[in-house]
Amino acid sequence: MAGPPLVPYHEGGTEEACLFLYPDHENLHDAKEVSVMKRTMRILLMMALVASLAVSLFAMGAGEAPKDTRKIINLWSFTDEVPKMVEKYKQLHPEFDYEVRTTIIATTDGAYQPALDQALAGGGDNAPDLYCAEAAFVLKYTQGDAAHFAAPYKSLGINVDAKLKEADIAPYTVDIGTNDAGDLVGLGYQATGGAFIYRRSIAKDVWGSDDPAFVTSKVGPGWDRFFAAAEDLARKGYAIVSGDGDIWHAVEGSSPQGWIVNDKLFIDPTREAFLDMSKMMLEKGYNNDTTDWTDAWFADMKDAGSKKVFGFFGPAWLINYVMAGNSGGSKPGEGTYGDWGVCEPPVGFFWGGTWVLANNQSPVKNGVGKLIEWITLDSSNTGLQYYWANGTLDGPGGTKDTVASGTVMKKSDGTLPFLGGQNMFDVFVPAGAFATGKNKTQYDETINIYWRDQVDNYANGMKTKAQAIADFKRVVADNLAIDI
Amino acid sequence: MARKGVSYAKWGYIFSIPFVVTFIIFSLYPTLYTVVIGFTDLRGLGKTTFKFLSDPFANFTAILANVTFKQSLANTAIIWTMNFIPQITLALLLTAWFTTRRFQVKAQGAFKVLIYMPNIITAATIAILFNALFGYPKGPVNDLLIRLGFLDAPSNFHLQKWTSKGVIAFIQFWMWYGNSMIVLIAGVLGIDVTLFEAAEIDGANATQIFFRITLPRLKTIVLYVLITSMIGGLQMFDIPRLYNLGRPDNATLTSSVFIYNQAFSGSYLYNRASAASMIVFLIIVVLSVALFFIMRDKDEVKARKLERQIKRRGGVA
Repeated sequence: MAGPPLVPYHEGGTEEACLFLYPDHENLHDAKEVSVMKRTMRILLMMALVASLAVSLFAMGAGEAPKDTRKIINLWSFTDEVPKMVEKYKQLHPEFDYEVRTTIIATTDGAYQPALDQALAGGGDNAPDLYCAEAAFVLKYTQGDAAHFAAPYKSLGINVDAKLKEADIAPYTVDIGTNDAGDLVGLGYQATGGAFIYRRSIAKDVWGSDDPAFVTSKVGPGWDRFFAAAEDLARKGYAIVSGDGDIWHAVEGSSPQGWIVNDKLFIDPTREAFLDMSKMMLEKGYNNDTTDWTDAWFADMKDAGSKKVFGFFGPAWLINYVMAGNSGGSKPGEGTYGDWGVCEPPVGFFWGGTWVLANNQSPVKNGVGKLIEWITLDSSNTGLQYYWANGTLDGPGGTKDTVASGTVMKKSDGTLPFLGGQNMFDVFVPAGAFATGKNKTQYDETINIYWRDQVDNYANGMKTKAQAIADFKRVVADNLAIDI
Repeated sequence: MARKGVSYAKWGYIFSIPFVVTFIIFSLYPTLYTVVIGFTDLRGLGKTTFKFLSDPFANFTAILANVTFKQSLANTAIIWTMNFIPQITLALLLTAWFTTRRFQVKAQGAFKVLIYMPNIITAATIAILFNALFGYPKGPVNDLLIRLGFLDAPSNFHLQKWTSKGVIAFIQFWMWYGNSMIVLIAGVLGIDVTLFEAAEIDGANATQIFFRITLPRLKTIVLYVLITSMIGGLQMFDIPRLYNLGRPDNATLTSSVFIYNQAFSGSYLYNRASAASMIVFLIIVVLSVALFFIMRDKDEVKARKLERQIKRRGGVA
């Protein structure tokens, strides 16, 4: 029996064809149905030919996996990352005879979540079997309003505990993916633990060494040492970071409590301290007063700001997808390319990432389980994460990234010319371990915007601290109806 | 002859079906649905079931007590006024120049196209463009002001409330004055030419003609521009939202951005968002009616009154 052809998208006719075929197969022995059957088969055959997907229909009847009552997996994602991984899996595993129907909706304008929610709530044959959630809203699907849709990994035929141990998955990824009943329902393939990414030439100029271990001891642990380093740098005319937004990710990620505690707005002292950190940095000239993701911020990656900037806080993806492209060069010697190093941050944090979940109601849990296991828990050299870490998913020379599995990271090579040949995994593996996912809420994106706005107003001397905090509470209460 | 001809009347109805169906599904139904959910408990992502509140106006009272909502209404009014006064002034001035009979402005067509051009560009693009222009600490406006010696160090325009309001009002003004001008020119062209000729023969100068003939005759067109601009202005959304998300400190938060935030920024308060929409709708209705009342043709009202009095007396013999 030949496997189904690789057809990423489905033509309209086939869906109906499947609906026809299915009940009819069960009634095969019913004599009264035979004439109806013949006609249906004719229509069916015609449609199948039109859609040129006849082979997948035969495969349906074959019944190779007795547990799954269907051979179609609906996959929902907001980028083509996971769909591409699934294609690769099918290439590597010809015996995996499921047809995967992909739906991609970008997270732009909040379009993905409402569509996914409707599809999950609607159920039926087109409900998502496998779906992705981003760090900014994953909690809603693992622990929040939409948690009841998520299937525990162990119900997918995955030996969760053994595999977690074997792959050595970063704890924060597991925290976020564990539901209130203590079952693991989602895992990411990336590790987005953050590090401090610094300029080697500036470190040498100020302290005489650019060794990652040495710089780690200079900028941390803790913010006091970080600001002492900032003072050293300021004396030589450097800014330690580009703007206060750079340290915000670290402050936010290191606070013990999130924005909401017991259904009320809560300002963790760690986060409240950011008000004065921001003001102090501005007054002492420790940064260039930029805002993250603006032109001036990008310009600081290639020394185009008013002061040269020493470093940025971020996970591996910031290096590959943001900094490399903005360094003003593409090989060592050009712009700031090659003059960077990675060291441990003063406090642990993580930033971004994608989690993969399965639908509790899915009739294809067996197939979905195989995909999820390969993506999130397979730490072998043919697992997704090994390809992902070494940039070899689409052949050699791709973008390297940190992955969730510590086991994979240990045997992968994270050497980057951008970092002057440093193996970035040496820093990012431990970084993932001291990041925590317990301080996140589903409102983070909005509340952070309001908070940063008030911090800017306070830092620039436009209002008092008490006024800034009062105004912050009011906008949160007014816009989100959260008790203060 | 039994048949007098073919009736095409039914085709009118048949051809309008696509529009009517589209309108009912995509415009009428959502509008009515919005009205309904304003009285319900519908909130939360992906929910489709709702029930009516025991106090049907609870959402409305919540919105009216919302400080941020009041602030957003005030912002909307301020930004709209800041945009409309220069807009109508400039549009009238350009109209006067382009329609004057004293001298012919050369290359009129080219000017009209250039002036109308900003209106063709998507508002979202312009908002993002201006955000980058006023960038801090690096940005073209900062660079220019420092080069010209107006500033010693870059200024953080995005933190200045009145600068932010002014930029949004300017974008609004810059995008729409060309449109208003075209409408006003069309209005002027509709005025009977003999009136202008008569005025010229009687020795009226250009200013007199503009204020005594053009402007009074343009009254309905000006009212039209005023009301469409007001409705558009009260619904101002894309520019303030994309320019700076209503920041700094809610200074550019307009009522539409507020409504969007209620519904889509995290708590999904669909019921309160539609209550706020209904309140804004009522404000637009009240203001439009008030404008019609203020701008009504007083002479015509007087004339009609006189006519009625005459009729009551039994008519003129």
